[in-house]
Order: sequence, then C-alpha cells, then structure tokens
Amino acid sequence: MTDTIHVFDRALLRRRRDRAAAGLRAHDFLFAEAAERLADRLDDVTRKFAFALDLGCHDGTLSRVLAGRGGIETLVQCDLSPAMARAAATNGAPTLAADEEALPFAPESFDLIVSVLGLHWVNDLPGALIQIRRALKPDGLFLGALLGGATLTELRTALIEAELAEEGGASPRVAPFAELRDAGGLLQRAGFALPVADADRIAVSYPDALALMRELRAMGESNTLRARRRGFTRRATLARAAAIYGEKFAAADGRVRASFEIVTLTGWAPHPCQPQALAPGSATQRLADALGAEERPAGDKARPK
Amino acid sequence: MSEDETIGVDPKLLEILVCPLTKGPLRYDAAAQELISERAGLAYPIRDGIPIMLPDEARAIGDGGDG
Repeated sequence: MTDTIHVFDRALLRRRRDRAAAGLRAHDFLFAEAAERLADRLDDVTRKFAFALDLGCHDGTLSRVLAGRGGIETLVQCDLSPAMARAAATNGAPTLAADEEALPFAPESFDLIVSVLGLHWVNDLPGALIQIRRALKPDGLFLGALLGGATLTELRTALIEAELAEEGGASPRVAPFAELRDAGGLLQRAGFALPVADADRIAVSYPDALALMRELRAMGESNTLRARRRGFTRRATLARAAAIYGEKFAAADGRVRASFEIVTLTGWAPHPCQPQALAPGSATQRLADALGAEERPAGDKARPK
Repeated sequence: MSEDETIGVDPKLLEILVCPLTKGPLRYDAAAQELISERAGLAYPIRDGIPIMLPDEARAIGDGGDG
C-alpha cells in the first residue's frame, strides 16, 4: 500500500467515468460482452450466492446482463465514479461509490465478488486482490475480467509510429495491461485457493481508428497514464495514426479491426472443505507403481540398451 | 438501535461498510446523511441513498466530535 508506483491517475479515471456515465449505454458492448462471459461461468457454478458485489459496476451492466441469473440474491453495486453509481442505482440494487484501491467493506462480507473490466486501472493489483479476498466469506468466489496485454495492440502500434514520424518521440498512449502469465501467480499470492487465469480475445471492427478512439472515450476508458502527454495530441499526429492504422489493420470490408484480450481470474477464499495439496513427502502410493515403471534413484543414468 | 426511518441507504449495506482508510467502524448519522469515521476524522456523504466512500469527497470533522 505504501510503495506502489502510481502508474494510473485515479482522479482522472474518475472524471473520465463521471463524464461517460450518462451516455454509456450506447457504448457498453465490451462491458456487456465481458459481463455475459462471466455470467456464463457463474451459471456453471451450481451454487447460490446470497450476498454478492459487483466491483466496478459502471452503469449497472452486470445486473442487466444477469437479469436474475447466476444464483445471486442481493447484488451490491460499487463504482469509483459517483455518476456511474447513480446511473447503476436506478435498477434499485444497493449501490455505493468506492475506490478499488481502498475498499470500504468489513472482512467476510460477501459470498461472491465479480469485477467486469475494472481492475486494469488499479495501480496496486496485488493489493486490490488481497482486499477482495478479505471481503469474501470463507469459500466465497472471486470472478474478475480484466483487459490483458494483447488489448489494443493495433492502436498502440499506430500511435507510436505516428508520433515518431510527426514529433520525433513517443509517449505512452495505451495503458500497460495485465499479462496472463502473471495473473495466476497474483491470485495465489493474494491468498486465493484454486486460482485459475485464462484469456479470450475479442475482435471488433470500426469504420476507422478515430471511431475507435471516440468509442474508448465514450466508455470512459481513454488513457489515464500519469506519464501521458498533457494537452491535446497534434491533429497531424492523429491523422497519421489513423492512416497507419488503416493501412496495417484493415479488415476485408474496408473497416479496421481492434483486438481486446479479456483475462478472467477465478479464485476462492480459502476454506477447510476445499481440496488441499498434501505436504511434500506424505504420499502413501508410489508413482512408479501407478505408472508400472521401474523406479531408479535420482542421479542414476538410464542404461542404454 | 432503532431508527425512525432510514430513507435511502440499504440496511444490508450499512452493516458491511467500514472506513476505506482505517477499515474501522462507521457511525450512521441519518439526519445529516453521513457515515462518520471517528478514527479517520472524516464524514462520508450519502447522496440519494448512495454512500460515497471516497476520502476526497469526505468532510473533515474535528476530533472532539460534533455530538
């Protein structure tokens, strides 16, 4: 909590979301798609969740998508942006505004915590995961979708090349996202049992790169990197980026493609009833017997026949 | 313990909320529509039934307590 490098400007993210809240419904396809995929996973868990939390609820996307599915009795909604929370609260569910980096929940409050594309803007992901695990009751489930490293690679390429060409230097434009290979370890270090991380790609097409950038802004997802360039991007740079994007990443129909990688994290708050790994050396069966193989002491070379 | 009427905030929510900074308990001031963290010296506003649990939206209160 103390030595975190603050990569993201959370106050700016909040303002971006506040501004996007009113018009989000027309641009929420990615949140809805991610929520849909999490809802499918919830359906696979044959269990009821009396008290659940939608962490980073935007304008209530998850609740809309679930529409009573998922075995959830009460869904508490929470977003960093008070404007988003207010939009979400119109569905009648208990709602609050809170920061994923400083959760205001007593230990062991929830049976389920779901996060739909919110945690990729957190400065201290391990710290946020620990807080999430603590807010879960024993044997409670965490299900989180966040944007992974293969997200918006096309836009990243186009912007960097355009900036180098027009301005002779590049500044960070697209946020660094979580890598799948780190995600499972993060869950484990945060104290989750049975951690699983997997990734899906979603390809979307837009008329052109500027339409993509407009949509990101309407989603409240444009750049909040602290090291971003202040002030407006030069028109020539944006035009060049759109041209490069169009040349390199055109789909067959003249539109351009944009890829999103959604990393899904699943972990359970520990409970004695869960499958446990045995202590090393406590095995009662020999692997060699199970395999029907000959056991050799370590270090012995197999004899060539 | 009984409140005359708690318009707005869901009682289930009140039960689980703590101060995001200290993780300590909160006192619900129904009249002022605030959640008060004595330890942090902050009063978090409740707007239209939505607790705003953001320290930079909270009101600083004197450590004497305002009764």
